[in-house]
Amino acid sequence: MITWNRAYRGAHLSLSQRRWLSKLTLERLATRPVQSYISTSNNPYLNLSLEHYLLQKSSPESTILLLYVNRPSIIIGRNQNPWLEVNLSLLSPAPRAATNSEPELAGSFLGAVDLVRRRSGGGTVFHDEGNVNWTVICSSKTFTRDKHAEMVTRALRSLGVERARVNERHDIVLDQGERGGDVVDGADMHVTPFTRQNAASRPLKVSGSAYKLTRQRALHHGTCLLSSPNLNVIPHYLHSPSKPFMSARGVESVSSPVGNILLENEEFMGAVQKQFAVMYSESRATELQEVGLEWLENETVGKGYDELNSLDWTYLQTPQFNVSNAADALASTDVQFTVRNGTITAGVLRSRNNSAFSQLGEDSVGTRLHEIAAWSTALPRMFTGVDRAECDKLATWLESVLPPSHKTAGHS
Amino acid sequence: MSLSRLAPRRALQVYASATAQPHNARPLFHRKLHASPRLDVVRPFLLADIGEGITECQLIQWFVQPGARVEQFDKLCEVQSDKASVEITSPFDGVIKKLHYGPDDMAVTGKPLVDIDIQGEVGEEGGVEESVEDVVRAEGGGELDAAELDAAATTTQERGRQHGSRQSKEVMGSLATPAVRHLTKEMNVNISDVQGTGRDGRVLKEDVHRHVSQQTQQTVPQQQQRTGLPATREDKKAPLTPVQTQMFKAMTRSLSIPHFLYTCAADMGAITSLRKKLNVRAEPKLTHLPFIIKAVSLALRHHPLLNSSLDTKDPKKPELTYRGAHHFGVAMDTPSGLLVPVIHNVQDLSITEVAARLLQLSEKARNNKLAPSDFSSATFTISNIGSVGGGVVAPIITEPQVGILGIGRSRMVPAFDENGQLVKKEELVLSWSADHRVVDGAECARCAERVRGLLEEPGSMIMGMR
Repeated sequence: MITWNRAYRGAHLSLSQRRWLSKLTLERLATRPVQSYISTSNNPYLNLSLEHYLLQKSSPESTILLLYVNRPSIIIGRNQNPWLEVNLSLLSPAPRAATNSEPELAGSFLGAVDLVRRRSGGGTVFHDEGNVNWTVICSSKTFTRDKHAEMVTRALRSLGVERARVNERHDIVLDQGERGGDVVDGADMHVTPFTRQNAASRPLKVSGSAYKLTRQRALHHGTCLLSSPNLNVIPHYLHSPSKPFMSARGVESVSSPVGNILLENEEFMGAVQKQFAVMYSESRATELQEVGLEWLENETVGKGYDELNSLDWTYLQTPQFNVSNAADALASTDVQFTVRNGTITAGVLRSRNNSAFSQLGEDSVGTRLHEIAAWSTALPRMFTGVDRAECDKLATWLESVLPPSHKTAGHS
Repeated sequence: MSLSRLAPRRALQVYASATAQPHNARPLFHRKLHASPRLDVVRPFLLADIGEGITECQLIQWFVQPGARVEQFDKLCEVQSDKASVEITSPFDGVIKKLHYGPDDMAVTGKPLVDIDIQGEVGEEGGVEESVEDVVRAEGGGELDAAELDAAATTTQERGRQHGSRQSKEVMGSLATPAVRHLTKEMNVNISDVQGTGRDGRVLKEDVHRHVSQQTQQTVPQQQQRTGLPATREDKKAPLTPVQTQMFKAMTRSLSIPHFLYTCAADMGAITSLRKKLNVRAEPKLTHLPFIIKAVSLALRHHPLLNSSLDTKDPKKPELTYRGAHHFGVAMDTPSGLLVPVIHNVQDLSITEVAARLLQLSEKARNNKLAPSDFSSATFTISNIGSVGGGVVAPIITEPQVGILGIGRSRMVPAFDENGQLVKKEELVLSWSADHRVVDGAECARCAERVRGLLEEPGSMIMGMR
C-alpha cells in the first residue's frame, strides 16, 4: 500500500495555484447555519473526503449542500464487494479483455478509471464528467429519505424536465411513454403526467441515492446523469464476470436502465442551489463557496483522503465471500477460496476425475487478494503437489474471475 | 422516517420494558441501600427499527470490544442496510460486556446488539436501580413531580453522564437534565446564563454551582495553562476524557484523606548489580520495580496496618479491615492517561513472576485490553514516576487504601563510604504517603526503613521469602 504524505499531495501545484486555507476559515465555515459548496476538483477521493469532513465537523444544526463532478470513476458502496460489482480487468490502463471479446467497443473503453469505496451504503455507480453529484448534510432530527430527492426533482422540473419524479426506492426516474389524460398535482414530486401503472416501458433512472447516518447528522448524496458520453460502455464496467462464481454477504447493487436528462452541468447545479436556498436560507439565496485541493491542508480532510485512497480501504473492507468454479462445467479441477477482509483465509483444490486433493498452504493464508500479481505464479505457490497443466488451466480461469489489479494507489 | 430520531427513544423504551417497571403502578420513590459491593447491571442494547420495512442489517465494523468503557453517545458500531450506512452510538455509560454479532453478520432489528454493563458508583450513590429509574422516567415524558425530583437531585451526585431529554421544554433549548433544571430554579439561576461543560455543552450540576459561586464572589481570573498568552489566542473547552473522569471522581473522594509524606532514599547499588548479573540471561530484562514491589510485600507482613482498608461510609463509625492478601495497584502512564491495574496476591509471587505480570499488564494497557477485573481489589498502590523523572513526590491515596508509595528516578549522587571516602552511590527516593487518621508517622517510617533495608541488602529479601 502506498501512502502519500501531505507534502506530496499538492506538490504539483505552484504556489500561486495553492490557495492557503486558514484553520479559522474552516472552523468559521463549519458553523454557519446554511452552507453551500461547489468543488473545483474532479478527484473523486478528494470530493468524498470533503463530504466526509463536512459531515463530521459541521455544527449539528447546520444544513449543507455540496456539488461536485468526478473524472471517470467507479464508486462502490461501503460494504460491497469490488470483485463482484466491477469488471476489474477493465480498470487497468491497458484493458486486455475488451479487445478480444468486444472488438466494437475496444476503441471506446476509457483509460484509467478510479475505483473508490465510499463511506455511505448502497450500490455501485459510475461517475464521469456528464454526471453531477449532489450531497445534502442536515440534522438527523429533520431528515427523511425523500426530502432532498424531492428538492432535486423540483430543480429538474424548474428546468423543464417534467418527466422527473421520485420513486419508491427514493431514486429519481424519468417516466417514459405518452402523456396521460389525468390532471396531476404539480407540487407532488412522486408523480408526473406520464406516470402510469402499467407503463409500456420502465422509467429510466437518472439519479441514485445513498445515505450515511450518525447520531446527530444525516448525509444524503446522489448522482444525476445529465450528459454522460459513456452510457453504452458503463454496463461493461459494472458487469463482473465473476458473478456466477461468487457467493457473498453484503449489499448487492440493483441495476436499472439509465438515461441522460440532457442538461448542462452548470444549469443543473444552479437550479439545485436555488432550490436549496429556497428551502433553507432566510434570504432565499446562499453564497456558493468553492472548495478544492487546497482543503487537503486540513488534517482531517487529509486523513480521510489517505484512507479512501488506500488499497486497504478499497479492498480489505469487503465482507466475507466464497469463490468457486463449481458452476463451470468445463473445469476438471474444483477450486474454492474463502476470502475474508479481502484476504484468503482458506482454499482447496479438488480433482473432479479422481480423489486428488490439495489444501491451501499455511504460508498462503492471509494473502491479500488485491496484491496477487499473476495467478500463474501465485497458484503453484499456494497449493503443493498439483499437476502443472491443471494449475495453468485454473490460473487462466482465475485471471478472468479475480483479475490481478495493476492499479497502484490513486493519483492526485 | 428518521432513523436517529427513532433510535434512542425506541431503544430506551424497549429497554425500559426489559427492566419490568410497570408504568401504571409507579412506586413511591425509595432509596435502595446496597451494603454489598458493586452490582453489575448488564443491559442489552437492542438494534432499533430503522424503518423502511427493514428487518435486518449487516454489521460492518465494531468500534468497541468487550471490556471497553464507553460513555453515552460513544460510537459502538456501523451497520448497513440497503442504501444507508448508520453509526450506532451507546445509549448510556458503562462497560461493554458482550457483542452479539461479528463483522459481516446480519443483525436483526429488535434483537440485542450488544450488552452493556452499567457500572455506576453503586455503593456511594445508593443504587444503580434508582438511576435506571431516573433514565426511564426522564425519557418517558419528562414529567417528574417535585418529590421525585428532589430525591433524584440529591442522590445523583456529580456524574459524567447526562440523560439529556430530547424534548427540551425550555424555550432556549439548552441541554440539561430535569434534575439540573430543577436546581437552577431552586437557585434562581437562568439556565441559559450557565456555561455548560458536559458533552455537547450540556449544563451539569457543577456548572450551576460554579456559576452561583462566581456571582457571589469576586470573579477569579481564568487560570491559563500557559502564562503570557496573547489575548487573541482562543481558549478551547474540552470534555473530560473517560480516564480523566474516573480520575476526577476518585481523587475528589481522596480529598477527605489527611495525607502525610515520609521520604527516604535507598541505595540501589546492590539491586542494580544483582540485576545486571541476572539480565545477562533473563528475558525480558528485569527493572528495579519488581524488586521494590516484592520488598514492600515482605515489609507489609510486619506492618499490616499499611495494607488495610478504611471504610468511612459512616463517619461516626469508621471500620478498619486488615486485608489478608497483598493486591498492589501499579500506576501506569498509557496513551489514554493514568491507569492503575492491579497485581493480585503479590505475597505468593516470586520476583520473576511479579516482573512477568507487570509486563503483561502494561502490554494490555497499551493496547486498551484491560478488563474490569484487572482493576479490582487493590490494597496498596505503587506509583513509579521514575520512568519519567522525579525525586521526592507526594502521591495521593485512593480510598479505601491507607497508604501509597511513590518512586522517583534513581540517580548517581556523591556519598561517603564507611572509611569516609567520597564514592558514587545510586540513590532512589521512596516517597510514602499514609492516611493519618489510622497510620501514625512512626509506623509508616518503620515500614519505609524496613523496605529500604531489604533493598539495600537483597540477601535479606531471600531470608524473608517463603
